[in-house]
Amino acid sequence: MVGIMASYSRERLEGLASSAKSATELPPKLHRLRNLRRNLQGDASVFPNELLPLLFDLLSDQFGAVRKFVAEILGEIGLKYVELLPEIVPLLIKSLEDETPAVARQAIACGADLFSSTLEKVAVQGLHSSELDELLESSWTWMIKFKDEICSLAFKQGNSGVKLCAIKFVEALIVFYTPDPSGSLESSSREDFNISILRGGHPILNIGDLSIEASQKLGLLLDQLRHPAAKSLNSPTIIVLINSLSSVAKKRPAYCGKILPVLLSLDPLIFLKGVHAAAANLALKTVFLSCLKCTHPAAAPWKDRLIGALKEIEDGGRVDKAEDLFFKTNGSIQDNDSVEDTKFQVSKKENPLCASSVVEERNFGRKRSGSDKNIDLNGDALSGKRARITPSMSGESTGGLNGDDVDSLPLVASTSAGQSISRGVSDTGPVQQLVAMFGALVAQGEKAIGSLEILISSISADLLADVVMANMDNIPPNGSSYADGTDGLVMNMCLVGSDAHIKYPPSFVAGVLSLSTAFPPIAALINPHIPKMKKEGEEFSADHVDQQMFPAEDAVLATGLSASSDTSLPVNEEGTSVFPPNVHYIGNIESDIPGLDSSGQHDVLSEAPITSVLGSTNVEAASKNQDASFSGELLLAVIPSVSMDKSEEFSPKAAGTGSNSLVSSTATSIASAPQFVLPKISAPVVDLSDGEKDGLQKLVFLRIVEAYKQISISGGSQLRFSLLGHLGAEFPSELDPWKILQEHILSDYLSHEGHELTVRVLYRLHGEAEAEQDYFSSATAASAYESFLLAVAEALRDSFPPSDKSLSKLLGDSPFLPKSVLKLLESFCCPGSDDIVQKNLQNGDRVTQGLSAVWSLIETRPGIRNDCLKIALQSTVHYLGEIRMKAIRLVANRLYSLSYITQQIEEFAKDKLLSVVSPISSERGDAETLIEDCKKEDLDVENPPNKSQPVSGAGMDTSSEATSSTSVTEAQRCLSLYFALCTKKHALFVHVFSIYKDASEPVKEAIHLQIPLLVRTMGSSSELLRIIADPPSGSENLIIKVLQTLTEGSKPSSELIHTIRKLFDTRIKDVEIIYPILPFLPRDDVLRIFPHMVNLPTEKFQVALSRVLQGSSQSGPALSPSEVLIAIHSIDPARDGIPIKQVTEACNTCFAQRETFTQQVLASVLNQLVQQIPLPMLFMRTALQAVGVFPALSDFILEILSRLVSKQIWKYPKLWVGFLKCAQSTQPQSYKVLLQLPSPQLGNALTKIPALRAPLTAHASQPEIQSSLPRSTLAVLGLVPDSQTSQVQASETQNIQVQQQEQASESQQTSQSQQVSVPLSHSETDHQETSQVVASQSQSSPIGTCPSETSQSQSSPIGAGQSEMSQATQVSDSDPQAPTSHTQTSDSQVSSQTQPDDEKMDDDDTVTSENETTEVEKSKESSAEEEEEEGEEEEE
Amino acid sequence: MKFRYAMVCSSNQNRSMEAHNLLKRQGLDVASYGTGSHVKLPGPSLREPNVYDFGTPYKQMFDELRRKDPELYKRNGILQMLKRNLSVKLAPQRWQDNAGDGVFDVVMTFEEKVFDSVLEDLNNREQSLMKTILVMNLEVKDNHEEAAIGGRLALELCQEIEGNESWEDTIDDIVAGFEKQHRRKLVYSISFY
Repeated sequence: MVGIMASYSRERLEGLASSAKSATELPPKLHRLRNLRRNLQGDASVFPNELLPLLFDLLSDQFGAVRKFVAEILGEIGLKYVELLPEIVPLLIKSLEDETPAVARQAIACGADLFSSTLEKVAVQGLHSSELDELLESSWTWMIKFKDEICSLAFKQGNSGVKLCAIKFVEALIVFYTPDPSGSLESSSREDFNISILRGGHPILNIGDLSIEASQKLGLLLDQLRHPAAKSLNSPTIIVLINSLSSVAKKRPAYCGKILPVLLSLDPLIFLKGVHAAAANLALKTVFLSCLKCTHPAAAPWKDRLIGALKEIEDGGRVDKAEDLFFKTNGSIQDNDSVEDTKFQVSKKENPLCASSVVEERNFGRKRSGSDKNIDLNGDALSGKRARITPSMSGESTGGLNGDDVDSLPLVASTSAGQSISRGVSDTGPVQQLVAMFGALVAQGEKAIGSLEILISSISADLLADVVMANMDNIPPNGSSYADGTDGLVMNMCLVGSDAHIKYPPSFVAGVLSLSTAFPPIAALINPHIPKMKKEGEEFSADHVDQQMFPAEDAVLATGLSASSDTSLPVNEEGTSVFPPNVHYIGNIESDIPGLDSSGQHDVLSEAPITSVLGSTNVEAASKNQDASFSGELLLAVIPSVSMDKSEEFSPKAAGTGSNSLVSSTATSIASAPQFVLPKISAPVVDLSDGEKDGLQKLVFLRIVEAYKQISISGGSQLRFSLLGHLGAEFPSELDPWKILQEHILSDYLSHEGHELTVRVLYRLHGEAEAEQDYFSSATAASAYESFLLAVAEALRDSFPPSDKSLSKLLGDSPFLPKSVLKLLESFCCPGSDDIVQKNLQNGDRVTQGLSAVWSLIETRPGIRNDCLKIALQSTVHYLGEIRMKAIRLVANRLYSLSYITQQIEEFAKDKLLSVVSPISSERGDAETLIEDCKKEDLDVENPPNKSQPVSGAGMDTSSEATSSTSVTEAQRCLSLYFALCTKKHALFVHVFSIYKDASEPVKEAIHLQIPLLVRTMGSSSELLRIIADPPSGSENLIIKVLQTLTEGSKPSSELIHTIRKLFDTRIKDVEIIYPILPFLPRDDVLRIFPHMVNLPTEKFQVALSRVLQGSSQSGPALSPSEVLIAIHSIDPARDGIPIKQVTEACNTCFAQRETFTQQVLASVLNQLVQQIPLPMLFMRTALQAVGVFPALSDFILEILSRLVSKQIWKYPKLWVGFLKCAQSTQPQSYKVLLQLPSPQLGNALTKIPALRAPLTAHASQPEIQSSLPRSTLAVLGLVPDSQTSQVQASETQNIQVQQQEQASESQQTSQSQQVSVPLSHSETDHQETSQVVASQSQSSPIGTCPSETSQSQSSPIGAGQSEMSQATQVSDSDPQAPTSHTQTSDSQVSSQTQPDDEKMDDDDTVTSENETTEVEKSKESSAEEEEEEGEEEEE
Repeated sequence: MKFRYAMVCSSNQNRSMEAHNLLKRQGLDVASYGTGSHVKLPGPSLREPNVYDFGTPYKQMFDELRRKDPELYKRNGILQMLKRNLSVKLAPQRWQDNAGDGVFDVVMTFEEKVFDSVLEDLNNREQSLMKTILVMNLEVKDNHEEAAIGGRLALELCQEIEGNESWEDTIDDIVAGFEKQHRRKLVYSISFY
């Protein structure tokens, strides 16, 4: 059956193997191999040999993973079937060279397993028989080969991964080859295999040879770390080397002496850099720490150097931890709970000895009672402690063992150990430890010679000398020193015993205590019995040992190791016999072992009050204790020998304690302790419920809080603050200590030193939050911090006036400002609407308060600078102008100058500036809603929505607001900051120009509003000039605005003028930009640009004119009025490209200003103009106008006209027309001038203005005049019959015959004698009538005096003529001109109707102006006619 | 090369779970542990943490805390964290108690104390497999934000390591590169299984 199964599985296995081999893909191969392995593991039968070749083949498979797996399988097979090793191992050796590191590593791992199992088999077989199985022997030979191969890998360069494994293998090998000092023979597991089972006479293995080989290998490992070699290593190798060595040192402490010097001399910083150093350092640190934990005596002498080295590595940072660790390991091997932790802390402050012993005592007790660790551990731990500084324990335990062994030597050892420690308490240096070490080794006898040698070889000569010197103390000079030693022993026993007492209720102990103090005599009686009890104690501890099945051999070993003494001390009997007489010297011990003493006393002191509650008599005992301790402390300073005497004094008390112990010993425990230990045990444990605890804590807290008055008087407030802060952090939150504290602080902030206390609390909490110990507790602390600060800050806000600095100070002093506090600050600086409603009055001050707090925070707290700045900036665009201005003042005046935030402020302002342009201009329609949204958002951020207003109502309100004003204020809101910054940094101003083009009207308006102030502040700085010199396109209006502002009030600088001139010449042709500087320009320049001004619309020209005329206060007017007029006249429309209409407009404008362009001015102008050659085109027009405005000028004009006649004015057709008009308008005075015209010209004139003919003829017909006229003239006038000419004229100008006839009829009227050939119509009579009226009118008024008269006379003939014409039209439709003049007629009729009224009035202003207007109308008409005529002429 | 990773912090809640989550999502073979004696979550006050034993399912903690004070635990992010955790695995595990979980190639720790604990624990284990294990420590503050950063860094580091056949030869370069790139200190040690 089995066979079938076997064959079945065999076939199956083979199948699997071969299919695995044949598979070409990796996954199926691995899958089959896994199956194979599973089957192999399950199958316990004989291994199918046939399978091996298949597997061997697979070892050279193409896939690394397959090879690795096969190696693993082979390893397992090898473990199981040792006989196959000779076949398997060679292949594995080959695999070591595999190109895939994983395979090699696997081979090493297999090697390690195989090697250890084979070694064990060989060793065990050798134990039982003198010869080995041949197969096993050959396997072993192969294994040795395998081992050598692997070892060689460890010491040569190669793949790191492989090398690391090899090193690990070497480590394992060293451990295999050396006896485990703590190992036991009993253990059968492979892990616990110990080479020490080998005895002499093993057929193959010789423990000595193995040790030598181990040492060699160790040496090789160490060599790698020595200086030159280490350089070539990479850091993983170094780490592993260090770790391996430390592991060896830990497992085989005997090698410490060899390993530690190398490690200690290894200074990674010297030959390694960067990561290497860090990694190696870390490894070293770990090693040193673990070596410190090592309890083996061989490690002990290195402790100080290890600590030193650690210090170096960590720069002292981790040494505390190291020491801590050291203590911990010394004290307990298990996890140390918090109770012990605190113990350590206390003990560290005192004497290290005390600490260790106290812990030890506890620990010992626990081990005895509850430890389930096996004996060797216990023993090991003990020995470790002994080796260090714990005489008490060692003494005790040896004593205990002693009792069992009845061996004198250990006892001596123990006594001397006790002594040596008691001597060396104050000096626990390395020397003392070494002495102990030597003692331990020597006590081991021959076995330890090797270790002893190593130890000696590894310490320096100096140190060795010190050791010898120190040891001299141990040589007993007399008996008393032994006494000391035994005292120590007694003490120790008591200590141990006391531990057993822990379970007794405190009251019991207290009772015993009181009893003993109450009956000193009894105590004294009992005293002699102490040695007996000691015996019992020994039995007791021996019992314990028995119970724990402490093996005899080990016990010896342990005692041997631990006992520190020279073997040269033979006086063992004395040691024991010393006991009885010295018992009463217990008091002395206190002085000799200060550590114990002080700790004991401490406990007594601290617990004395409590014990006193339990038993009043105890107080006495306690006080005695205090005495004792006091003396003990005194004695510390005195030499030991003297202390003897002192202790005598205390012997009664010591006796008392003795009795104590006796009484307590009734409870089967021997070593009821001396009294100074007892009170410590009797610490009362009052179980309070949680509620009670809380209540107590709260009471305590409240009491401290309320104690401020007393404390402030006594001056401990700092301490109180700290205490409160600390307690607050410690208390559970239900008690809500913070609330209590807050109430206290806020009830009277100033007199309760609220600020100091708050800050203290905050720091405490902040420290807690940042401690990083535990995220979760720090999170809680952070939230407590936040709420505390916020509560205080809010309370300060509400209870103090805004002018108070407390809040600002608090914020400045707080270690950290959480978001919520910044929010609070923000609500100060940027209050929302409902805030305003509530605190209307305080609002402004609040803002100031908030802003000043923000300011100081920005300056002093770089960490939150950005947040604070944000608040300040937010405030600068607040919708309330008042707040905004405050904030802007702060930002622009104070913050902007801080270099570290300048940039941010600028950016913010610029963003705002741009924001004004983009949303409003691009989405005009949405602008309002956008702004509203913004506003609302702002409000929302700071405050909940305003609920007092109904929602719909609010919506209505906002939407119904005037859009333009909203936008203007909105724009101002955003712009103000930027403008403020511009005053600080003028270069910024340029952006205002560049956005101007795209800005919407409201924005422009807002800019305009602010510009004057801004520019006035800036002045014409160089930056501004630079901007002006090169303004962005589209900003002309702005530039003009700026320039206006700049030139207002003061004389612009020459640079500015220059800049503007240049700008005008190059960039902007708009003459308006020149306006502001017009008064300041030189005359020539003004004249040069004058045509440009003329070209402007009337209103602008008026402005320009006034500027030119007004000039500056310093230099006077740029141009005089006459110059202006001349300039106007010198404009050539064609040349200057200016329409003639503009020029006439300019003239009109000038004439309109009669105060400026006075009669004299006009006269001089005309006078000048008339001299110009050629005459200005508008000359006649101006003359006409002049005489129209100032009739008094008519004489002057006539003179001009006559001059013109002499200049042959008729040669200039345009002027000729004007001349005639002028003459017409100045008739009748102008007749004289007209008559000066040569007759053809006169004829032409009369043809052009037929209305002149009649009056002129009338005038000429006066005899005295007629006589002076040449005949030709008279002929033209028709005064002399000159048929030829008149016929010619008549025939020539048929078309104007009618006019001539009319003229003739007119002249007929004036000169009655004249006969008109033309038949008179009905209309003529009418005409005559009217003309007569006119004539009479003109005659009735004094000629030339009254302007109205003149105008009358001027207008009436024309008007009359026209009206006559219209009448004629009405009569005869054949007149072609009639329709055009219809309205004119009526107008003139109106004017003529009004004239009678005017006449009645005197020459006053209204009349003048009235006439002026008519005059202007006239002139307009005339100019219109002129133009018409010009047009006609041009057509010609 | 397929490595096995372990992420270790003190409570197996925040930092290690963040990294675990990330690595898991990237398809790496990862587990996570804590080295503390208990799982501690913040309670209503500093001195009243919620203490659980390792092995208590995240779900249970989640339900419990949600029942206790949903506001508080939501605010400090505990609930969110637990929710994340329970989607990653069942319960927090203690490193020292889970030696049986098999062989890891790389262990990432996030606190020096944890690093030391892991190394000590590894050293205390029997080392017979001759199998190297890389233990690296990356200091990460125990809060959500830092944990997220730490998790990303851990992932990056592990991916870097993953890209190598065997890290033994390249680890120095990887570490040096990492330190240079992220300006964070990284310490490592090597131990054996």
